[in-house]
Amino acid sequence: MVLRVFRWDPGTGERVQEYRVTAREGMTVLDALVEIQRGSDPTLAFRYACRVGMCGSCAMVIDGRERWACRTLLARLPRRTVSVRPLYHFPLIRDLVVDLEPFRRRMLATAATFEPAEGPAAFAAVGRDTAERRQVAAAIECIGCGMCLSACTMVAHDERFPGPAALNRAFTLQLDSRDGAHADRATRLRSEDALVRCHAQASCTAVCPMEISPTDSILSLRRRAILALF
Amino acid sequence: MSEPRVLRRGWTTREGWRDTKAGLWAWLLQRAAAVALVVVIALHLQNPFIPAVQAVLLGLVLLHGLLGLRAILLDFGLPVGWHRALFAGALGLAILLFVVFWMWRWS
Repeated sequence: MVLRVFRWDPGTGERVQEYRVTAREGMTVLDALVEIQRGSDPTLAFRYACRVGMCGSCAMVIDGRERWACRTLLARLPRRTVSVRPLYHFPLIRDLVVDLEPFRRRMLATAATFEPAEGPAAFAAVGRDTAERRQVAAAIECIGCGMCLSACTMVAHDERFPGPAALNRAFTLQLDSRDGAHADRATRLRSEDALVRCHAQASCTAVCPMEISPTDSILSLRRRAILALF
Repeated sequence: MSEPRVLRRGWTTREGWRDTKAGLWAWLLQRAAAVALVVVIALHLQNPFIPAVQAVLLGLVLLHGLLGLRAILLDFGLPVGWHRALFAGALGLAILLFVVFWMWRWS
C-alpha cells in the first residue's frame, strides 16, 4: 500500500510525501506510521499515546475522514493509496501534529467547565439509574480528541462557534444538579454564535469514535432554550 | 509571530468531498434549492404559463419545503439517528408529490 502523508513544518512549504508500506494482517495506520518513522523517515512527526483506542491522541484525517489511526486497519480501507492528513481547523505544529488550544478556548468560551454550586447543592449523589444520569450517559464519555471539530463545517466558518465538543460538554453541565453556572451558560448558549450556528448536519456524530451524538446534545439544548422563553 | 497555519477541507479537491456525510448533503441541497428558487420565481413572475418553469418551480418548492420539514422534525426531538432516513423520505416524498401534482395539473 501507499500512504500519501501530509508534511509541513514552519519555514518550509507543505508537501505530500508517499511511503510504501507492506500491509500485514491486523496492521493499523498507526502501526504503518511508526514503522515509517523507525525505518525510512525519522523526521515524520505524529502524535500518539495509548495505541489502543483509549486516549484519542492519534486523531487525524485518513482517506478524507476523521479517524483514530490506531483503530484504522489498513485492510479495511477501500483504496490501496491512502491519504493521511492532520485534523482540520486546528493550527499545525508539524506534519500530522496539531495544536489543540482552540479546543480548550472554545470550551472556556461556552463556560463548558464545571462550576460547583454554592453550599450543600455542590454535593449530590447522582446514581447510575437516575434519570439525570441516563440523559447524559453517552455525552459524558467525550475524551476530547478533537475529531468532531475537524468534521464540523460550521467551525470552519465561525471562529466564535464553540463547536460540537464544547456544546456537548455544556449539555452535560446544564443537566448537572451540582453545577452552579446554569444561568451564565444559558446566556452564552443563546448568543448568536452558539446553539443557533449549528445546522444539524451531524458530521460530528458520524465521526465520533465514542459514539456520542453532539448533534442530539445541541438540539436538546436548543429545545431547552426555547422552552425557557415560556 | 506569523499567522498559524490552519488546514480547511478543500472543497475544490476530490478528497475534500470524499466521505461527505448525508446530513451535509441534505443541508446543501436545501440551500441550493433556496438560491435556485429566487431565480425561478423571478422567471415564473415574468411569464407564469411556461410549463417547464412551472415544473422546476414545483420541484424546487417541494425539495426545499420537505428538507425544511426534516430539519424541523429533528429540531422537535426526533432522534438524530433517523436523519438519513428522514433525508431519503424527504427526497422520496418530493418525487411522489411532484408526480401527483403534475398529473393533476394536466388532467
